[in-house]
Amino acid sequence: MCIITISRGSYSSGKEVAEKVAACLHYDCVSRDILLEASDRYEVDEIKLVKAIHDAPSILERRGRKKETYIAYIRSALVSRVRSDNVVYHGLAGHLLLRGIPHVVKVRIIADIDRRSAMEAQREGITLEKARSAIIADDEQRRKWTQSLYGVDPWDSSLYDLVVKVDRLSIADAVDIVCDAAKREAFKTTPASQQKMEDLVTACAVKAALIEEFPEVMVLSEYGNVIIHSASGGRHAQKIRKAVGALETTIGGINSIEVHADGNAPPGSV
Amino acid sequence: MTIIAISSDSYRMGREIGEKISKRLGYRYLDREILKEISAGSGISEGKLLKALEKTPSALGMSARDQAVYLAHIEKKVIGEFLKDNVVCHGLAAHLYVLGVSHVLKVRVLSNPEVLGKELAPGKDLSGDAMEKLIGRNENARKRWSLKAFSLDETDPSNYDMVISLNKIEINEAVKSIAEAVGYKKFKAMSYSLKCLKDEETAAEARTILFPRFPDAQVRANGPTVVVITKGMKREKQKKALIIKEMVGKIPGVNFVEVHIVNDILRQAAESLR
Repeated sequence: MCIITISRGSYSSGKEVAEKVAACLHYDCVSRDILLEASDRYEVDEIKLVKAIHDAPSILERRGRKKETYIAYIRSALVSRVRSDNVVYHGLAGHLLLRGIPHVVKVRIIADIDRRSAMEAQREGITLEKARSAIIADDEQRRKWTQSLYGVDPWDSSLYDLVVKVDRLSIADAVDIVCDAAKREAFKTTPASQQKMEDLVTACAVKAALIEEFPEVMVLSEYGNVIIHSASGGRHAQKIRKAVGALETTIGGINSIEVHADGNAPPGSV
Repeated sequence: MTIIAISSDSYRMGREIGEKISKRLGYRYLDREILKEISAGSGISEGKLLKALEKTPSALGMSARDQAVYLAHIEKKVIGEFLKDNVVCHGLAAHLYVLGVSHVLKVRVLSNPEVLGKELAPGKDLSGDAMEKLIGRNENARKRWSLKAFSLDETDPSNYDMVISLNKIEINEAVKSIAEAVGYKKFKAMSYSLKCLKDEETAAEARTILFPRFPDAQVRANGPTVVVITKGMKREKQKKALIIKEMVGKIPGVNFVEVHIVNDILRQAAESLR
Protein backbone atom coordinates (compact mmCIF):
# COMPACT_ATOMS: atom_id res chain seq x y z
CA MET A 1 0.00 0.00 0.00
CA CYS A 2 1.51 3.30 -1.07
CA ILE A 3 1.07 6.34 -3.26
CA ILE A 4 2.88 6.64 -6.59
CA THR A 5 3.47 9.99 -8.24
CA ILE A 6 4.52 9.93 -11.86
CA SER A 7 6.09 13.08 -13.20
CA ARG A 8 6.39 13.34 -16.95
CA GLY A 9 6.89 15.73 -19.80
CA SER A 10 4.44 15.90 -22.66
CA TYR A 11 4.56 12.87 -24.98
CA SER A 12 6.87 10.96 -22.64
CA SER A 13 4.46 8.00 -22.33
CA GLY A 14 4.13 8.78 -18.62
CA LYS A 15 0.33 8.66 -18.82
CA GLU A 16 0.36 5.16 -20.33
CA VAL A 17 2.84 4.00 -17.71
CA ALA A 18 0.72 5.48 -14.91
CA GLU A 19 -2.48 3.85 -16.17
CA LYS A 20 -0.82 0.47 -16.57
CA VAL A 21 0.84 0.67 -13.15
CA ALA A 22 -2.53 1.49 -11.61
CA ALA A 23 -4.16 -1.44 -13.43
CA CYS A 24 -1.35 -3.80 -12.44
CA LEU A 25 -1.46 -2.87 -8.74
CA HIS A 26 -5.27 -2.38 -8.66
CA TYR A 27 -4.76 1.24 -7.61
CA ASP A 28 -6.82 4.28 -8.57
CA CYS A 29 -5.31 6.44 -11.28
CA VAL A 30 -5.86 10.17 -10.81
CA SER A 31 -4.66 13.19 -12.72
CA ARG A 32 -6.59 16.23 -13.85
CA ASP A 33 -9.66 15.09 -11.88
CA ILE A 34 -7.90 16.66 -8.88
CA LEU A 35 -8.45 20.02 -10.56
CA LEU A 36 -12.18 19.32 -10.81
CA GLU A 37 -12.29 18.46 -7.12
CA ALA A 38 -10.39 21.64 -6.23
CA SER A 39 -12.62 23.66 -8.53
CA ASP A 40 -15.76 22.31 -6.83
CA ARG A 41 -14.43 22.58 -3.30
CA TYR A 42 -13.06 26.14 -3.55
CA GLU A 43 -15.42 27.46 -6.23
CA VAL A 44 -12.72 28.49 -8.65
CA ASP A 45 -12.85 28.17 -12.44
CA GLU A 46 -11.08 24.99 -13.52
CA ILE A 47 -9.35 26.91 -16.29
CA LYS A 48 -7.69 29.19 -13.72
CA LEU A 49 -6.43 26.13 -11.85
CA VAL A 50 -5.12 24.59 -15.07
CA LYS A 51 -3.23 27.80 -15.84
CA ALA A 52 -1.90 27.98 -12.29
CA ILE A 53 -0.42 24.52 -12.40
CA HIS A 54 0.84 24.68 -15.95
CA ASP A 55 2.17 28.16 -16.71
CA ALA A 56 5.06 29.74 -14.85
CA PRO A 57 3.95 32.84 -12.91
CA SER A 58 4.58 36.16 -14.64
CA ILE A 59 6.18 39.05 -12.71
CA LEU A 60 2.74 40.53 -11.95
CA GLU A 61 1.37 37.17 -10.84
CA ARG A 62 4.32 36.71 -8.50
CA ARG A 63 3.41 39.97 -6.80
CA GLY A 64 -0.29 39.14 -6.66
CA ARG A 65 0.26 35.60 -5.34
CA LYS A 66 -2.96 34.43 -7.02
CA LYS A 67 -1.15 31.44 -8.48
CA GLU A 68 0.02 30.35 -5.03
CA THR A 69 -3.58 30.52 -3.85
CA TYR A 70 -4.76 28.22 -6.62
CA ILE A 71 -1.88 25.82 -5.98
CA ALA A 72 -2.82 25.68 -2.29
CA TYR A 73 -6.34 24.68 -3.39
CA ILE A 74 -5.00 22.02 -5.75
CA ARG A 75 -2.63 20.68 -3.11
CA SER A 76 -5.40 20.46 -0.55
CA ALA A 77 -7.64 18.57 -3.00
CA LEU A 78 -4.77 16.26 -3.96
CA VAL A 79 -3.70 15.30 -0.44
CA SER A 80 -7.34 14.67 0.55
CA ARG A 81 -7.76 12.45 -2.49
CA VAL A 82 -4.63 10.34 -1.95
CA ARG A 83 -4.71 10.14 1.87
CA SER A 84 -6.13 6.61 1.86
CA ASP A 85 -3.32 5.23 -0.37
CA ASN A 86 -3.42 2.90 -3.36
CA VAL A 87 -3.32 5.77 -5.80
CA VAL A 88 -1.21 6.57 -8.84
CA TYR A 89 -1.10 10.33 -9.48
CA HIS A 90 0.29 11.44 -12.81
CA GLY A 91 -0.59 15.08 -12.81
CA LEU A 92 1.82 17.94 -12.50
CA ALA A 93 4.17 18.36 -9.55
CA GLY A 94 2.89 15.41 -7.50
CA HIS A 95 6.37 14.76 -6.13
CA LEU A 96 6.52 18.35 -4.86
CA LEU A 97 2.97 18.64 -3.58
CA LEU A 98 3.37 15.41 -1.57
CA ARG A 99 6.83 16.21 -0.25
CA GLY A 100 7.73 14.76 3.12
CA ILE A 101 5.43 11.73 2.97
CA PRO A 102 7.57 8.58 3.29
CA HIS A 103 5.19 6.17 1.54
CA VAL A 104 5.17 8.10 -1.73
CA VAL A 105 7.15 6.55 -4.60
CA LYS A 106 8.34 9.46 -6.71
CA VAL A 107 8.86 8.42 -10.31
CA ARG A 108 9.80 10.40 -13.39
CA ILE A 109 9.24 8.98 -16.86
CA ILE A 110 11.35 10.53 -19.59
CA ALA A 111 11.71 9.90 -23.30
CA ASP A 112 14.02 10.90 -26.06
CA ILE A 113 13.22 14.31 -27.61
CA ASP A 114 13.10 12.79 -31.12
CA ARG A 115 10.56 10.18 -30.04
CA ARG A 116 8.46 12.84 -28.29
CA SER A 117 8.62 15.16 -31.32
CA ALA A 118 7.55 12.34 -33.65
CA MET A 119 4.55 11.58 -31.43
CA GLU A 120 3.51 15.23 -31.22
CA ALA A 121 4.00 15.75 -34.97
CA GLN A 122 1.83 12.72 -35.72
CA ARG A 123 -0.91 13.66 -33.28
CA GLU A 124 -1.04 17.37 -34.16
CA GLY A 125 -0.32 16.99 -37.87
CA ILE A 126 2.63 19.40 -37.76
CA THR A 127 6.22 19.20 -38.94
CA LEU A 128 8.89 17.57 -36.78
CA GLU A 129 10.68 20.90 -36.31
CA LYS A 130 7.51 22.59 -35.06
CA ALA A 131 6.77 19.66 -32.77
CA ARG A 132 10.29 19.76 -31.38
CA SER A 133 10.06 23.51 -30.71
CA ALA A 134 6.68 23.06 -29.00
CA ILE A 135 8.05 20.33 -26.74
CA ILE A 136 11.15 22.32 -25.83
CA ALA A 137 8.95 25.35 -25.03
CA ASP A 138 6.65 23.18 -22.90
CA ASP A 139 9.60 21.69 -21.00
CA GLU A 140 10.98 25.18 -20.41
CA GLN A 141 7.62 26.34 -19.07
CA ARG A 142 7.62 23.39 -16.63
CA ARG A 143 11.14 24.18 -15.58
CA LYS A 144 10.28 27.84 -14.92
CA TRP A 145 7.10 26.88 -13.05
CA THR A 146 8.91 24.51 -10.71
CA GLN A 147 11.83 26.85 -10.19
CA SER A 148 9.69 29.88 -9.45
CA LEU A 149 7.42 28.08 -6.98
CA TYR A 150 9.69 25.46 -5.41
CA GLY A 151 13.22 26.58 -6.32
CA VAL A 152 14.12 23.24 -7.87
CA ASP A 153 14.69 21.93 -11.37
CA PRO A 154 12.22 19.20 -12.43
CA TRP A 155 15.06 17.56 -14.41
CA ASP A 156 17.07 17.05 -11.23
CA SER A 157 17.04 13.27 -10.73
CA SER A 158 17.57 13.58 -6.99
CA LEU A 159 13.96 14.75 -6.62
CA TYR A 160 12.77 11.27 -7.55
CA ASP A 161 13.24 7.74 -6.29
CA LEU A 162 13.33 6.43 -9.82
CA VAL A 163 13.79 7.91 -13.28
CA VAL A 164 13.00 5.61 -16.20
CA LYS A 165 13.69 6.44 -19.82
CA VAL A 166 11.14 4.95 -22.17
CA ASP A 167 13.18 4.28 -25.26
CA ARG A 168 15.07 1.01 -25.13
CA LEU A 169 13.06 0.17 -22.03
CA SER A 170 9.51 -0.30 -23.28
CA ILE A 171 6.36 0.98 -21.57
CA ALA A 172 5.77 -2.55 -20.23
CA ASP A 173 9.34 -2.68 -18.83
CA ALA A 174 8.84 0.72 -17.16
CA VAL A 175 5.57 -0.55 -15.65
CA ASP A 176 7.38 -3.60 -14.26
CA ILE A 177 10.14 -1.46 -12.75
CA VAL A 178 7.69 0.97 -11.10
CA CYS A 179 5.42 -1.81 -9.77
CA ASP A 180 8.44 -3.59 -8.37
CA ALA A 181 9.63 -0.42 -6.60
CA ALA A 182 6.16 0.18 -5.16
CA LYS A 183 6.28 -3.22 -3.46
CA ARG A 184 9.47 -2.37 -1.60
CA GLU A 185 9.38 -2.28 2.18
CA ALA A 186 10.63 1.33 2.25
CA PHE A 187 7.44 2.59 0.60
CA LYS A 188 4.93 0.66 2.68
CA THR A 189 2.55 2.80 4.70
CA THR A 190 3.30 2.70 8.41
CA PRO A 191 1.26 4.23 11.24
CA ALA A 192 3.88 7.00 11.48
CA SER A 193 3.85 7.77 7.75
CA GLN A 194 0.03 7.72 7.71
CA GLN A 195 0.06 10.21 10.59
CA LYS A 196 2.31 12.46 8.51
CA MET A 197 -0.20 12.17 5.68
CA GLU A 198 -3.11 13.08 7.98
CA ASP A 199 -1.14 16.07 9.26
CA LEU A 200 -0.40 17.16 5.71
CA VAL A 201 -4.12 16.92 4.85
CA THR A 202 -4.97 19.09 7.86
CA ALA A 203 -2.20 21.64 7.21
CA CYS A 204 -3.13 21.95 3.53
CA ALA A 205 -6.83 22.40 4.35
CA VAL A 206 -6.02 25.16 6.88
CA LYS A 207 -3.64 26.85 4.45
CA ALA A 208 -6.24 26.71 1.64
CA ALA A 209 -8.83 28.23 3.96
CA LEU A 210 -6.55 31.12 4.93
CA ILE A 211 -4.45 31.85 1.89
CA GLU A 212 -6.73 34.26 0.11
CA GLU A 213 -6.91 36.61 3.08
CA PHE A 214 -3.47 35.86 4.54
CA PRO A 215 -1.21 34.82 1.66
CA GLU A 216 2.00 34.79 3.72
CA VAL A 217 0.94 32.23 6.34
CA MET A 218 2.78 28.94 6.73
CA VAL A 219 1.00 26.04 8.38
CA LEU A 220 2.31 23.00 10.20
CA SER A 221 0.28 20.23 11.77
CA GLU A 222 1.66 17.68 14.21
CA TYR A 223 -0.78 15.07 15.45
CA GLY A 224 -3.59 17.52 14.74
CA ASN A 225 -1.98 20.39 16.66
CA VAL A 226 -1.88 23.14 14.08
CA ILE A 227 0.66 25.96 14.25
CA ILE A 228 0.22 28.91 11.93
CA HIS A 229 3.25 31.11 11.36
CA SER A 230 2.75 34.64 10.11
CA ALA A 231 5.54 36.97 9.12
CA SER A 232 3.35 40.08 9.25
CA GLY A 233 3.56 40.95 12.94
CA GLY A 234 1.33 40.89 16.01
CA ARG A 235 -1.70 42.82 14.71
CA HIS A 236 -1.91 40.56 11.73
CA ALA A 237 -1.63 37.51 13.97
CA GLN A 238 -4.61 38.77 15.92
CA LYS A 239 -6.67 38.89 12.71
CA ILE A 240 -5.58 35.35 11.87
CA ARG A 241 -6.59 34.12 15.33
CA LYS A 242 -10.08 35.51 14.74
CA ALA A 243 -10.29 33.91 11.29
CA VAL A 244 -9.19 30.45 12.42
CA GLY A 245 -11.78 30.18 15.14
CA ALA A 246 -14.30 28.64 12.79
CA LEU A 247 -11.81 26.24 11.18
CA GLU A 248 -11.69 23.85 14.12
CA THR A 249 -15.27 22.87 13.39
CA THR A 250 -15.15 22.90 9.58
CA ILE A 251 -11.85 21.05 9.08
CA GLY A 252 -11.56 17.60 10.59
CA GLY A 253 -8.56 16.30 12.53
CA ILE A 254 -7.68 19.53 14.37
CA ASN A 255 -6.91 19.29 18.11
CA SER A 256 -5.71 22.83 18.65
CA ILE A 257 -4.63 25.87 16.67
CA GLU A 258 -1.84 28.25 17.65
CA VAL A 259 -0.84 31.37 15.77
CA HIS A 260 2.78 32.57 15.96
CA ALA A 261 3.79 35.98 14.66
CA ASP A 262 7.53 35.16 14.42
CA GLY A 263 7.50 34.16 10.76
CA ASN A 264 10.03 31.40 11.42
CA ALA A 265 8.10 28.52 9.94
CA PRO A 266 9.82 25.18 10.65
CA PRO A 267 10.68 22.76 7.83
CA GLY A 268 7.68 20.75 6.70
CA SER A 269 5.31 23.73 6.90
CA VAL A 270 3.05 24.25 3.90
CA MET B 1 26.82 -10.69 -24.25
CA THR B 2 25.45 -7.96 -22.03
CA ILE B 3 27.03 -4.86 -20.56
CA ILE B 4 25.94 -2.77 -17.62
CA ALA B 5 27.54 0.67 -17.32
CA ILE B 6 27.07 2.23 -13.91
CA SER B 7 27.53 5.89 -13.10
CA SER B 8 27.25 7.22 -9.58
CA ASP B 9 27.75 10.45 -7.65
CA SER B 10 29.80 8.37 -5.19
CA TYR B 11 32.64 6.13 -6.39
CA ARG B 12 32.38 3.93 -3.29
CA MET B 13 28.64 3.41 -3.72
CA GLY B 14 28.90 2.74 -7.46
CA ARG B 15 31.61 0.18 -6.79
CA GLU B 16 29.58 -1.61 -4.13
CA ILE B 17 26.58 -1.82 -6.43
CA GLY B 18 28.67 -2.85 -9.43
CA GLU B 19 30.34 -5.65 -7.50
CA LYS B 20 27.03 -6.92 -6.14
CA ILE B 21 25.44 -6.98 -9.60
CA SER B 22 28.41 -8.79 -11.11
CA LYS B 23 28.26 -11.37 -8.33
CA ARG B 24 24.52 -11.84 -8.73
CA LEU B 25 24.66 -12.23 -12.51
CA GLY B 26 28.03 -13.95 -12.74
CA TYR B 27 29.37 -11.10 -14.93
CA ARG B 28 32.92 -9.79 -14.92
CA TYR B 29 33.40 -6.59 -12.94
CA LEU B 30 35.47 -3.79 -14.40
CA ASP B 31 36.57 -0.66 -12.57
CA ARG B 32 39.62 1.55 -12.09
CA GLU B 33 41.76 -1.45 -11.25
CA ILE B 34 42.13 -1.80 -15.01
CA LEU B 35 44.07 1.48 -15.14
CA LYS B 36 47.21 -0.50 -14.13
CA GLU B 37 46.91 -2.57 -17.31
CA ILE B 38 46.22 0.50 -19.43
CA SER B 39 49.23 2.19 -17.89
CA ALA B 40 51.45 -0.78 -18.67
CA GLY B 41 50.21 -0.92 -22.27
CA SER B 42 50.34 2.80 -23.03
CA GLY B 43 53.23 4.03 -20.93
CA ILE B 44 51.01 6.66 -19.33
CA SER B 45 51.21 6.66 -15.55
CA GLU B 46 48.23 5.36 -13.60
CA GLY B 47 48.00 8.68 -11.75
CA LYS B 48 47.59 10.61 -15.00
CA LEU B 49 44.88 8.23 -16.22
CA LEU B 50 43.03 8.62 -12.94
CA LYS B 51 43.36 12.39 -13.13
CA ALA B 52 41.90 12.34 -16.65
CA LEU B 53 38.82 10.58 -15.25
CA GLU B 54 38.39 13.01 -12.39
CA LYS B 55 39.73 16.47 -13.19
CA THR B 56 38.73 19.07 -15.74
CA PRO B 57 41.67 20.39 -17.77
CA SER B 58 43.02 23.72 -16.58
CA ALA B 59 45.84 26.15 -17.34
CA LEU B 60 47.85 25.01 -14.31
CA GLY B 61 46.83 21.35 -14.34
CA MET B 62 46.39 18.79 -17.08
CA SER B 63 46.01 20.12 -20.64
CA ALA B 64 42.93 19.31 -22.74
CA ARG B 65 45.17 17.54 -25.25
CA ASP B 66 46.66 15.26 -22.59
CA GLN B 67 43.25 14.49 -21.16
CA ALA B 68 41.92 13.57 -24.62
CA VAL B 69 44.86 11.20 -25.18
CA TYR B 70 44.54 9.54 -21.77
CA LEU B 71 40.78 9.12 -22.13
CA ALA B 72 41.21 7.64 -25.61
CA HIS B 73 43.48 4.95 -24.14
CA ILE B 74 40.96 4.18 -21.40
CA GLU B 75 38.12 4.07 -23.93
CA LYS B 76 40.00 1.71 -26.22
CA LYS B 77 40.82 -0.75 -23.44
CA VAL B 78 37.35 -0.66 -21.86
CA ILE B 79 35.55 -1.23 -25.17
CA GLY B 80 37.96 -4.05 -25.90
CA GLU B 81 36.92 -5.68 -22.62
CA PHE B 82 33.25 -5.13 -23.47
CA LEU B 83 33.73 -7.12 -26.66
CA LYS B 84 34.97 -10.16 -24.76
CA ASP B 85 32.37 -10.94 -22.18
CA ASN B 86 29.37 -10.05 -20.05
CA VAL B 87 30.61 -7.07 -18.05
CA VAL B 88 29.52 -4.71 -15.27
CA CYS B 89 31.56 -1.52 -15.57
CA HIS B 90 31.85 1.34 -13.12
CA GLY B 91 34.10 4.36 -12.68
CA LEU B 92 35.54 4.41 -16.20
CA ALA B 93 33.02 6.81 -17.76
CA ALA B 94 31.78 4.07 -20.10
CA HIS B 95 28.24 5.46 -19.96
CA LEU B 96 29.55 8.49 -21.87
CA TYR B 97 31.31 6.76 -24.77
CA VAL B 98 29.04 3.81 -25.51
CA LEU B 99 25.89 5.89 -25.67
CA GLY B 100 24.93 4.65 -29.11
CA VAL B 101 25.41 0.95 -28.36
CA SER B 102 22.01 -0.57 -27.73
CA HIS B 103 22.95 -3.57 -25.63
CA VAL B 104 24.59 -1.46 -22.92
CA LEU B 105 22.26 -0.84 -19.98
CA LYS B 106 23.19 2.57 -18.63
CA VAL B 107 22.24 3.19 -15.03
CA ARG B 108 22.94 6.10 -12.70
CA VAL B 109 22.79 5.56 -8.96
CA LEU B 110 22.38 8.55 -6.65
CA SER B 111 23.57 8.16 -3.07
CA ASN B 112 21.70 9.22 -0.01
CA PRO B 113 22.74 12.90 0.45
CA GLU B 114 23.84 12.32 4.05
CA VAL B 115 26.06 9.41 3.08
CA LEU B 116 27.48 11.34 0.13
CA GLY B 117 28.12 14.44 2.28
CA LYS B 118 30.11 12.35 4.78
CA GLU B 119 32.07 10.78 1.95
CA LEU B 120 32.91 14.15 0.39
CA ALA B 121 33.89 15.73 3.73
CA PRO B 122 35.12 12.91 5.93
CA GLY B 123 35.33 13.68 9.61
CA LYS B 124 33.45 16.97 9.29
CA ASP B 125 30.09 17.57 10.87
CA LEU B 126 28.41 19.70 8.22
CA SER B 127 25.06 21.45 8.62
CA GLY B 128 22.26 20.62 6.18
CA ASP B 129 22.90 23.76 4.10
CA ALA B 130 26.66 23.25 3.98
CA MET B 131 26.19 19.64 2.94
CA GLU B 132 23.73 20.64 0.22
CA LYS B 133 26.24 23.19 -1.12
CA LEU B 134 29.06 20.67 -1.05
CA ILE B 135 27.00 18.10 -2.95
CA GLY B 136 25.95 20.80 -5.44
CA ARG B 137 29.60 21.80 -6.00
CA ASN B 138 30.58 18.18 -6.53
CA GLU B 139 27.76 17.70 -9.03
CA ASN B 140 28.72 20.86 -10.92
CA ALA B 141 32.34 19.73 -11.08
CA ARG B 142 31.28 16.37 -12.57
CA LYS B 143 29.01 18.16 -15.01
CA ARG B 144 31.88 20.42 -16.15
CA TRP B 145 34.21 17.44 -16.45
CA SER B 146 31.83 15.36 -18.58
CA LEU B 147 30.94 18.29 -20.83
CA LYS B 148 34.60 19.05 -21.41
CA ALA B 149 35.65 15.43 -21.93
CA PHE B 150 32.72 14.00 -23.93
CA SER B 151 30.39 16.97 -24.62
CA LEU B 152 27.73 15.21 -22.55
CA ASP B 153 26.27 16.11 -19.17
CA GLU B 154 26.84 13.18 -16.84
CA THR B 155 24.10 14.40 -14.50
CA ASP B 156 21.45 14.57 -17.25
CA PRO B 157 19.00 11.67 -16.69
CA SER B 158 18.27 11.41 -20.41
CA ASN B 159 21.74 9.88 -20.89
CA TYR B 160 20.65 6.81 -18.90
CA ASP B 161 18.05 4.08 -19.17
CA MET B 162 17.36 4.32 -15.48
CA VAL B 163 18.29 6.53 -12.52
CA ILE B 164 17.85 5.09 -9.03
CA SER B 165 18.03 7.24 -5.92
CA LEU B 166 19.21 5.46 -2.79
CA ASN B 167 17.36 7.90 -0.55
CA LYS B 168 14.78 5.27 0.29
CA ILE B 169 15.58 2.39 -2.01
CA GLU B 170 18.16 0.11 -0.40
CA ILE B 171 21.34 -0.99 -2.15
CA ASN B 172 20.24 -4.62 -2.48
CA GLU B 173 16.91 -3.54 -3.92
CA ALA B 174 18.67 -1.32 -6.46
CA VAL B 175 20.92 -4.25 -7.36
CA LYS B 176 17.86 -6.44 -7.89
CA SER B 177 16.16 -3.81 -10.11
CA ILE B 178 19.26 -3.38 -12.27
CA ALA B 179 19.87 -7.14 -12.53
CA GLU B 180 16.26 -7.63 -13.61
CA ALA B 181 16.32 -4.76 -16.10
CA VAL B 182 19.27 -6.26 -17.93
CA GLY B 183 17.08 -9.24 -18.74
CA TYR B 184 14.81 -7.12 -20.97
CA LYS B 185 15.24 -8.08 -24.60
CA LYS B 186 16.53 -4.69 -25.78
CA PHE B 187 19.74 -5.27 -23.82
CA LYS B 188 20.65 -8.49 -25.56
CA ALA B 189 23.59 -8.10 -27.92
CA MET B 190 22.74 -8.32 -31.61
CA SER B 191 25.05 -8.37 -34.59
CA TYR B 192 24.35 -4.68 -35.30
CA SER B 193 24.97 -3.51 -31.73
CA LEU B 194 28.18 -5.59 -31.61
CA LYS B 195 29.27 -3.95 -34.85
CA CYS B 196 28.62 -0.52 -33.29
CA LEU B 197 30.77 -1.50 -30.32
CA LYS B 198 33.55 -2.76 -32.59
CA ASP B 199 33.37 0.52 -34.54
CA GLU B 200 33.71 2.45 -31.28
CA GLU B 201 36.80 0.40 -30.44
CA THR B 202 38.37 1.16 -33.83
CA ALA B 203 37.56 4.87 -33.45
CA ALA B 204 39.05 4.89 -29.94
CA GLU B 205 42.23 3.26 -31.22
CA ALA B 206 42.46 5.85 -33.98
CA ARG B 207 42.10 8.59 -31.36
CA THR B 208 44.95 7.19 -29.29
CA ILE B 209 47.14 7.48 -32.41
CA LEU B 210 45.90 10.85 -33.66
CA PHE B 211 45.27 12.91 -30.51
CA PRO B 212 48.91 13.51 -29.53
CA ARG B 213 49.40 15.27 -32.87
CA PHE B 214 45.85 16.27 -33.87
CA PRO B 215 43.91 16.82 -30.61
CA ASP B 216 40.93 18.41 -32.36
CA ALA B 217 40.36 15.41 -34.67
CA GLN B 218 36.87 13.96 -34.75
CA VAL B 219 36.93 10.25 -35.52
CA ARG B 220 34.20 7.85 -36.57
CA ALA B 221 34.53 4.27 -37.75
CA ASN B 222 32.21 2.18 -39.87
CA GLY B 223 33.54 -1.31 -40.38
CA PRO B 224 36.87 -1.08 -42.19
CA THR B 225 36.37 2.63 -42.95
CA VAL B 226 37.54 5.39 -40.63
CA VAL B 227 36.44 8.98 -41.15
CA VAL B 228 38.57 11.75 -39.63
CA ILE B 229 37.62 15.40 -39.56
CA THR B 230 40.18 17.95 -38.44
CA LYS B 231 41.10 21.59 -38.90
CA GLY B 232 43.93 22.81 -41.08
CA MET B 233 45.21 25.57 -43.35
CA LYS B 234 44.52 25.38 -47.08
CA ARG B 235 48.16 24.90 -47.99
CA GLU B 236 48.71 22.03 -45.58
CA LYS B 237 45.54 20.11 -46.41
CA GLN B 238 47.14 17.51 -48.63
CA LYS B 239 50.11 16.89 -46.37
CA LYS B 240 47.93 16.58 -43.28
CA ALA B 241 45.52 14.19 -44.99
CA LEU B 242 48.39 11.96 -46.04
CA ILE B 243 49.88 11.85 -42.55
CA ILE B 244 46.50 11.00 -41.00
CA LYS B 245 45.85 8.30 -43.58
CA GLU B 246 49.20 6.76 -42.87
CA MET B 247 48.77 6.88 -39.12
CA VAL B 248 45.26 5.44 -39.02
CA GLY B 249 45.82 3.00 -41.88
CA LYS B 250 48.15 1.00 -39.64
CA ILE B 251 45.27 -0.11 -37.42
CA PRO B 252 44.51 -3.79 -38.13
CA GLY B 253 41.22 -4.18 -39.99
CA VAL B 254 41.16 -0.60 -41.35
CA ASN B 255 41.38 -0.52 -45.12
CA PHE B 256 40.07 2.94 -45.97
CA VAL B 257 40.67 6.26 -44.25
CA GLU B 258 38.61 9.25 -45.29
CA VAL B 259 40.04 12.58 -44.15
CA HIS B 260 38.21 15.90 -44.21
CA ILE B 261 40.26 18.99 -43.46
CA VAL B 262 38.09 21.93 -42.44
CA ASN B 263 39.54 25.43 -42.90
CA ASP B 264 41.08 26.69 -39.68
CA ILE B 265 39.64 30.19 -39.90
CA LEU B 266 41.25 31.46 -36.70
CA ARG B 267 44.75 30.35 -37.69
CA GLN B 268 44.24 31.74 -41.17
CA ALA B 269 43.14 35.11 -39.77
CA ALA B 270 46.08 35.17 -37.36
CA GLU B 271 48.55 34.44 -40.17
CA SER B 272 47.07 37.08 -42.48
CA LEU B 273 47.56 39.73 -39.74
CA ARG B 274 51.28 38.96 -39.44
